[in-house]
Amino acid sequence: QNFKYIFYCNGRELTFCFLLCFQQNGRPHFYDKPIVESFEEAPLHVMVFTYLGYGLGTLFGYLRDFLRSCGIEKCNAAIEREEQKDFVPLYQNFENFYTRNLYMRIRDNWNRPICSAPGSRFDVMERVSDDYNWTFRFTGRVIKDVINMGSYNFLGLAASYDESMRTVKDVLEEYGLGVASTRHEMGTLDKHEELENLVAKFLNVEAAMVFGMGFATNSMNIPALVGKGCLILSDELNHASLVLGARLSGATIRIFKHNNMQSLEKLLRDAVIYGQPRIRRAWKKILILVEGIYSMEGSIVHLPQIVALKKKYKAYLYIDEAHSIGSVGPTGRGVVEFFGLDPRDVDVLMGTFTKSFGAAGGYIAGRKDLVDYLRAHSHSAVYATSMSPPVAEQIIRSMKFIMGLDGTTQGLQRVRQLAKNTRYFRQRLNEMGFIIYGNEESPVIPLLLYMPAKVAAFARHLLNRKIGVVVVGFPATPLAEARARFCVSAAHTREMLDTVLENLDEMGDLLQLKYSRHRKSARPELYDETSFELDD
Amino acid sequence: MATAAEQWVLVEMVQALYEAPAYHLILEGILILWIIRLLFSKTYKLQERSDLTVKEKEELIEEWQPEPLVPPISKDHPALNYNVVSGPPSHNIVVNGKKCVNFASFNFLGLLDNPRVKAAALASLKKYGVGTCGPRGFYGTFDVHLDLEDRLAKFMKTEEAIIYSYGFATIASAIPAYSKRGDIVFVDRAACFAIQKGLQASRSDIKLFQHNDMADLERLLKEQEMEDQKNPRKARVTRRFIVVEGLYMNTGTICPLPELVKLKYKYKARIFLEESLSFGVLGEHGRGVTEHFGISIDDIDLISANMENSLASIGGFCCGRSFVIDHQRLSGQGYCFSASLPPLLAAAAIEALNIMEENPGIFLVLKEKCARIHKALQGDSISEHLPDVMSTASAAQLANVSLFFIQCMDRSIALTQARYLEKEEKCLPPPSIRVVVTVEQTDEELERAAHTIKEVAQAVLL
Repeated sequence: QNFKYIFYCNGRELTFCFLLCFQQNGRPHFYDKPIVESFEEAPLHVMVFTYLGYGLGTLFGYLRDFLRSCGIEKCNAAIEREEQKDFVPLYQNFENFYTRNLYMRIRDNWNRPICSAPGSRFDVMERVSDDYNWTFRFTGRVIKDVINMGSYNFLGLAASYDESMRTVKDVLEEYGLGVASTRHEMGTLDKHEELENLVAKFLNVEAAMVFGMGFATNSMNIPALVGKGCLILSDELNHASLVLGARLSGATIRIFKHNNMQSLEKLLRDAVIYGQPRIRRAWKKILILVEGIYSMEGSIVHLPQIVALKKKYKAYLYIDEAHSIGSVGPTGRGVVEFFGLDPRDVDVLMGTFTKSFGAAGGYIAGRKDLVDYLRAHSHSAVYATSMSPPVAEQIIRSMKFIMGLDGTTQGLQRVRQLAKNTRYFRQRLNEMGFIIYGNEESPVIPLLLYMPAKVAAFARHLLNRKIGVVVVGFPATPLAEARARFCVSAAHTREMLDTVLENLDEMGDLLQLKYSRHRKSARPELYDETSFELDD
Repeated sequence: MATAAEQWVLVEMVQALYEAPAYHLILEGILILWIIRLLFSKTYKLQERSDLTVKEKEELIEEWQPEPLVPPISKDHPALNYNVVSGPPSHNIVVNGKKCVNFASFNFLGLLDNPRVKAAALASLKKYGVGTCGPRGFYGTFDVHLDLEDRLAKFMKTEEAIIYSYGFATIASAIPAYSKRGDIVFVDRAACFAIQKGLQASRSDIKLFQHNDMADLERLLKEQEMEDQKNPRKARVTRRFIVVEGLYMNTGTICPLPELVKLKYKYKARIFLEESLSFGVLGEHGRGVTEHFGISIDDIDLISANMENSLASIGGFCCGRSFVIDHQRLSGQGYCFSASLPPLLAAAAIEALNIMEENPGIFLVLKEKCARIHKALQGDSISEHLPDVMSTASAAQLANVSLFFIQCMDRSIALTQARYLEKEEKCLPPPSIRVVVTVEQTDEELERAAHTIKEVAQAVLL
């Protein structure tokens, strides 16, 4: 049974979910963890100006295209070869309209090259453009010690070499870098077996298998698990790799609204009752695809409710913990631990090593029969090269560090530091009056900017003040909801966060970004309650 | 009077009946008959509405049993028992506890344990650590990546190159970036799995032509031309691509590139060339099949290769003109939505490129070794000038396959069977044994390998 209270507090919708789950022996196990998320809507005038801004940009885009086609303006884009001018054009004109006219104006805020390790501070190479962002030129100067709020470095494990990485150096010298073969042929090294055993132990499951690339883990294993005649229920905001994997599998895909359990339940009921469309036969399997933390929204999946639904309708659950492994949960084991659930309730646990472990690659973990099946039938095991040995050693080292197997408690301290930093950062941003999306405990923090021009101004001004942020616009986000996305790290000290917050405060005033309608939202007393008495 | 009026109306009616034109009367008659029929026919039955009661729905939910998530797999499935390599997969390899000479890893130029490559990677590890913690768009672009892209573009003599962090994802992301639903792709039957997945993701029309058969390809192109003439408006917006591999992984043959280029200009299709096996192997300086045939690199629209074979690193790259390559920076899925290549692997690739540029003689050495082993394995169906030899054996003979490999390893030759996913491949290649020639193998080892293969095959397979 779930009890859901929707509270309105100072105009802000807070969703509290209390879950009452009964264990096997009938004793109630009460989770009193409220899921506090907010997705506040902007005031009307902001939306109007945003659309006006895009409209103006589009008009100018048409004007410039016209001038370019007339020959009045010089065209800086690359063009087709003379010999191939009579071929069918490679790109349709309209496909690239947005890229040519809107993205090109503010292109300098992305693909910024750096020349140091992506730790809490990094060095950005200075580049300038002489022709309005069509080409870039490096001045040779380096902007040193820029505070890094953009890289996915949740536990601060991505840093330049120090003595704790000695084993990585040894493995590099002994094993070399490449493997030049697939897992099935000659590419399985003893390092891979060691890593897989460690991952299984870390996640508290029976077995695990690792792959060389996180994106490829999804796109090559989902087709191995489901095929034609199966149903995939995928969240609206799933990552491109999940969408690609689902499409390549050939199964029917149905989308449910983001984190919306009513939408998911309706789809599940319809699927089980009515079966496949037209032929009315039952579905072979139903697979629910969700992510642990959604990187563009900062929201955490409502896992207890999904597990309850999955058990009732006998569906299978696939969680992509790319952002949540290592960064949420009391000991960093991901969303399953965050909600206090049993890892055996989730059928397929997938994650990547890029974000919290400072390496590269992905894994899939679960029951032994699942992993054995993937060892034999995964596309990646048969056709793609296995993971590079020093990268595998880096993951082993990081995992042992987090688990405390290296003899210190530093790993656990970092996990706690990350949680503290996250709460502090979010609380201060809320107090300042910015609109922040997402769950209170998620280390990925989107700050809404809305207007396209502010996106560029925000990123450029902050780089001048030596803070590196990531801004995202269309098409990664909806058209009118451009945002800046901060990734808090355990390596950020209180001083760094305070510097960033001060600068954000100034930027907020300069660019009029403080849209939130309840600035001084002190936490309501409700948060301090730790127990509730509930009637049946 | 009423009756007189009625009579008068009746007379009028009868008169009107006589005076009406014939068609009018017939039409009215038909209408009356139709009305009578409708009145007496059965009521029209609507489609049954499936209005299930709540109880029925609950019962259906209770009853439904899905298939298990994964079908049970037997313990002695051949794919479950991997060959485990202890230590580096270099020339002298320790596999399953036995010391062997490595004839199974694609280490063509022997750079897997080259000390210079390792030193370059170590320097990069010291400076950057291991991971990049972000995709290329969000502070994941390091100066090492830009360097590597520059070097690759210069080496291949093209305008631009783009790097991916995984070899499989390179061609599988490049094809769907250009070819969309409604476009036409002509691809060889023996194309590798990565190309097949790229084509599947692109949702284009796929037309397979017989392996290396230019006549068959021309026939398909001509048919397409006829279709175009029927519908010129559609033809003006339908892009055409020909996807081939330089050196085919599944058959070990080289594609006939000069004929392909001729067909390209005749039928106006763009060529995508996948050079994973031929980069660093064919050609005077190792530039691949374009150098092998002496064709200008600008005639090929896109060359894609992975760095996992000759360059002994991880990852892949695409190179070509800026007009073509730049598009992938925003629409290549494996590029935009995935973390970038770890800098130590990029540094290793740069150093491997340096070595390739400094000793162009190794390509000739490799060629000689291939010729040698071909001669030694004569009697099996093989082709010319290849570093990757397939000796095909029929399915019946492969009943004792695992025994064959165990015995070869006992005689310290490490070989492997070419692995495919039987159910997923479009055109399953026949079962074969992979024999890989590298520059590090001595002549004596090559002779011994050929001898061992023949001997064990005689004993076990025949």
